[in-house]
Amino acid sequence: MSEVPEELKIKQKFPNWYDWIEPIKQEDIKPGFASYIALPKQVNSEFFKMPFGDVERDVFSEDWKLPENWKEILLDAFKETLEKNRAFKVFMDICVRCGACADKCHYYIGTGDPKNMPVMRAETIRTVYRYYFTKAGRIFGKWAGARPLDENVIKEWYYYLFQCSLCRRCSLFCPYGIDTAEVAWWGRRMLSRIGLNQRFMCISIEASSRTGNHLGLYAGGMAGSIEQGLSELKDITGFELHTYINKPGADVLFVAPSADYFATPHWYVMLGYLLLFNELEERYGITVTWSTYASEGGNFGTFHSYEAAQLLNSKIYKEAERLGVKFIIGGECGHMWRDKHQFINTMNNLPKNPEWKKFWDDPDLGQLSDKLKGINLGEFISGEHGWIHVLELVAALIRHKKIDIDPSRNDHWVATYHDPCNVARGMGMLEEPRYVLRNVMNKFYDMPEHCIREKTYCCGAGGGILAEELMELRMRGVMPRMMALRYVVKKFGVNIMLTPCAIDKAQFPVAVEYWKIPVEIGGPMEMVGNALVLTSFGEKPEDRKYDLRGTPIRGEE
Amino acid sequence: MSDALYVFYILPYVAFAIFVVGTIYRVINWARSAVPLKIPTTAGQQPTFKFIKRTWLDKIDSPSNKWWAFVRMLFEVFLFRSLFRNTRYYIEKGGKNVDARWLWLFAVLFHYSLLIIVLRHLRFFTNPVPNFVKTIEYLDGVLGVAIVPPLLMTGVIALIALAFLWGRRILLAKERCISLPSDHLILFFMAVILVSGLLMRYIVKIDLTYVKMFALSIVKFTPPSPEVLANLHPLFLVHFTFVCITIAYIPFSKVMHFAGIWFSPTRNMPNDNRMRRHVNPWDPNPEVPILAREGITVAGVTYKSKKLDWETYYEMYKDQLDEIAEKNYTLKAEEF
Repeated sequence: MSEVPEELKIKQKFPNWYDWIEPIKQEDIKPGFASYIALPKQVNSEFFKMPFGDVERDVFSEDWKLPENWKEILLDAFKETLEKNRAFKVFMDICVRCGACADKCHYYIGTGDPKNMPVMRAETIRTVYRYYFTKAGRIFGKWAGARPLDENVIKEWYYYLFQCSLCRRCSLFCPYGIDTAEVAWWGRRMLSRIGLNQRFMCISIEASSRTGNHLGLYAGGMAGSIEQGLSELKDITGFELHTYINKPGADVLFVAPSADYFATPHWYVMLGYLLLFNELEERYGITVTWSTYASEGGNFGTFHSYEAAQLLNSKIYKEAERLGVKFIIGGECGHMWRDKHQFINTMNNLPKNPEWKKFWDDPDLGQLSDKLKGINLGEFISGEHGWIHVLELVAALIRHKKIDIDPSRNDHWVATYHDPCNVARGMGMLEEPRYVLRNVMNKFYDMPEHCIREKTYCCGAGGGILAEELMELRMRGVMPRMMALRYVVKKFGVNIMLTPCAIDKAQFPVAVEYWKIPVEIGGPMEMVGNALVLTSFGEKPEDRKYDLRGTPIRGEE
Repeated sequence: MSDALYVFYILPYVAFAIFVVGTIYRVINWARSAVPLKIPTTAGQQPTFKFIKRTWLDKIDSPSNKWWAFVRMLFEVFLFRSLFRNTRYYIEKGGKNVDARWLWLFAVLFHYSLLIIVLRHLRFFTNPVPNFVKTIEYLDGVLGVAIVPPLLMTGVIALIALAFLWGRRILLAKERCISLPSDHLILFFMAVILVSGLLMRYIVKIDLTYVKMFALSIVKFTPPSPEVLANLHPLFLVHFTFVCITIAYIPFSKVMHFAGIWFSPTRNMPNDNRMRRHVNPWDPNPEVPILAREGITVAGVTYKSKKLDWETYYEMYKDQLDEIAEKNYTLKAEEF
């Protein structure tokens, strides 16, 4: 944190097109904003091999050691991208540069750098597109807004495409639905073909392709971690709880982002999951299993390329099939739900086990337990996908009064809710978490209308930007969210911001410390865990003395 | 000399041919690209359990099937739905978001005025003039009857909106920065067309008899007499030429957004990923991930990643996995 100055200044200068069409130079690439380039051990690994990944490259040196014929390779990749992705091609052509997207980007707001406007971020690629793929660009060159490739253009791409968190807020406001995330994502894919991969995301991609999760956690480590969670729960609740892992024949596979096994405040959310699963098993006989093979819900491949995303999410349906589960519950994570909602069933074949088929013929939870009859997943999910978000499930359980809730156990919390970008704009789960929170706690307040629900601001660290070396960018990018948070902290005395996103939970604790806002960060499942009365274990609402963080619920007496 | 004027008779055909061929080419070109993923931008509550309320706006902004996605497209194309959300961020006001829907307003005014103006022009190309064209013109002139010829609203509104939209590109620093020459070029074309049209109608008041004869000759494919051509007002020729240039320029320009928006996957796809599987045309049977199946081939070299299937995984971490199996796949609180 020390490298981020106390005072952030925004010096804005708007160059005209004639100037900005010239790419940036090496000296414009600043620490705090530039991502390190991946090392051979990440991108030349047995399990994740990228072209020209065997060379060590330094983003701050003049020579980026591009392969000899990088220009041809890149143009081939460009041509391939245009053929393989209609969105990319259409977005190259139809932007009218109206500027509606400009001040919707939290990085532009926070840095003031004109090239961080979504329109300009895409324009860094479009200018090249016009030169090589349109006649006007070829003939009129600069005057048609076109420029040829050179090494500085590549540096500019790398610098700005990795200052985008793929949050898609711009695409919401664009009158043509131009999605800068799509442009940036496929632009990064092109860069990966000439050996330029961002280090932070590749560390996790490589770990996940080798061990099954981003943290590189081995099976024993993960199991030990969950066991420790169960010990903590024993202290808090007084009950001997258990859970399953890699269990063949379980009803449901549960997949959470791996940060939940270790990091704080993710940890409390994991305790919440464990409480819920124990209650469900004890009361309804539903067995939920974790998996060490499919131990990662998140998918940093979705920040890198289609292929990398597929490499990582291919394990989960396979594991569901091997264990013979009926459906999959997904944990709290942001980009995970872009991947699990929009990508996974396109990138993979579905599980073929008979249990899966049978369940999805009539996806009523009554199949698992008669007492759950009436909760029908078929209202919005089919066997062609098979995932339900844990908060959707909790909302339904609360609605049908299948679990007992004591919201007063959360009375020491005054909460607000941050919509993760991908959950809001890549999935549309807006009301369910709020439904859950209004039921499990008494004091819940939303932030101002312009920054919640589908208009939510990014935490400034998604899309692979959670890297340490990008701290200044992160602290600037989170600024709009922090302003909104400060508003509700002052107005309602909010003391916790809840967000079902692992990256948010990693970014916000640092951000509130930097922006000096006295609030804790947590996840909705933590509040569910606090309020959940383990009736089937004989627990009474007033029995619980401590919340999942170990703080006394009803104050010191 | 008069022969040379036949250029103006040829011009619209050439322009129109370029427009039609160019537009079809662009559209086919887009359509030929694959749609690998279903990626709607969900701008409202998703389809979910029945007890979660969805408003009619949610149904449009987060469409649950193709029909609602179509409705979303109509809202987008005819009402500029996304632009209707526009705000401006003021950092100096502590992150205040100020309504900036004036951009929406002027965009709507501009586009609809142009549409009505185009429809009104049908009176030059038809004989007798259809009733709906007369009605449009009547309604358009209802407010301006005091002037002779009646002042038509749309012409004025279009000019004001144009001045506004161009003005923001010139006067606002941010918009000036993102504007390319081509953005100014198309606005320049529109300005010439609008101003020359208004001049002809209200100031110069040119003789429209010959203009109508000329226009009819175009739609009837019968070359006009030299007399008609010779009597066309120079101002009309300017107006006419710029219209032709603009029409021909459309397929090469950003004006193609009128067709491209229909192809925008973030808008035209329903948010029903969990109901219906989308098949990627270039990866229809992904039993094994691409990186482990064929790898990436770059400059003749193939880079393939090792596949981590369960068997491989089990071999690698056998001891730990066996230990878990010995516990009967059950985890309990650690004993201390």
